[in-house]
Amino acid sequence: MAVDLSMPILVVDDYNTMIRIIRNLLKQLGFEDIDDANDGSAALNKMRGKRYGLVISDWNMEPMTGYELLKEVRGDPGLSKTPFIMVTAESKTENVIAAKKAGVNNYIVKPFNAQTLRTKIEAVFAE
Amino acid sequence: MAVAIQQHHDRIAAYLKKKLGADVSLADVIALAEITAQSLQSVFETMDSAVHRELREIAAYIAAMKAEIAGLHFNELKHTRIPAAGQELDAIVKATEAASNTIMECAEAVLAADASDPAFKSMVDEQMLIVFEACSFQDITGQRVAKVIETLKHVEARVARFSDALRTRDTGGFVSEAERASAERKERLLLSGPALDGNDRQSEVDRLLGK
Repeated sequence: MAVDLSMPILVVDDYNTMIRIIRNLLKQLGFEDIDDANDGSAALNKMRGKRYGLVISDWNMEPMTGYELLKEVRGDPGLSKTPFIMVTAESKTENVIAAKKAGVNNYIVKPFNAQTLRTKIEAVFAE
Repeated sequence: MAVAIQQHHDRIAAYLKKKLGADVSLADVIALAEITAQSLQSVFETMDSAVHRELREIAAYIAAMKAEIAGLHFNELKHTRIPAAGQELDAIVKATEAASNTIMECAEAVLAADASDPAFKSMVDEQMLIVFEACSFQDITGQRVAKVIETLKHVEARVARFSDALRTRDTGGFVSEAERASAERKERLLLSGPALDGNDRQSEVDRLLGK
């Protein structure tokens, strides 16, 4: 994978089981610096304290959803260039279009496998 | 009742026509009062009968509605069946979470182990047995889901019968501000949850994104 494996990655999901799954898959892909947050606002706080090379976020969380997090990130000049992948069960056309308009880099529908995660990360950094 | 009132008017009108132009004595006034009283009595009798019939119909409707409400077994639903279904769903979430964690712990242990260690094979065998055991959650959660479905069907049957009996029509609106706020949040933030055909959506999502 032509990706910097040392870059810090932030995984955002309200289910710790899902965070653990993504964390393990990322480790298998070779990434080592992986942080996590349980909702958008916690993620935003972490992003303002550390520069992440990639954010992988769920959509449906409380109080701040992944969609709101994406819009906040794109609206913040200090964070706006951060690659952002949505990993979610929200797969309606309107969701995908809204995420695209908000500036998402890629979109993975749950449930997914390691190959899909790898492919989407590679696609983001190939752009 | 309209006929009785008309007759009452006719009697008073006839009396007044008879007395038109003549001097009005105290006896005439008393006679008019008597006619009025007699006429109104029949009006009130008619009115009593109509009101009584309407009240009897309302009472019968209320009695039928009470019977239908009793048929809902609302207290049983509220205090027993619905809380029990909620507990089953909580247990399902906990069981699936515990099983996932157990399986991931095994996988993590195997991935972290040294494959050149002579004990590696026996360690992997042991971890795989734990994985098999953890997968037994599926049988138990299947039974719990069946109980929740049974409760939903129970509620559905009673609500449908109640609705049919009362011939109710759906009206808009929410039962509480919290429900309204939740619905508005879901609409605003595009929260609809997993689709039933979610497993096949990735290629469509890729197409929409132009990836």
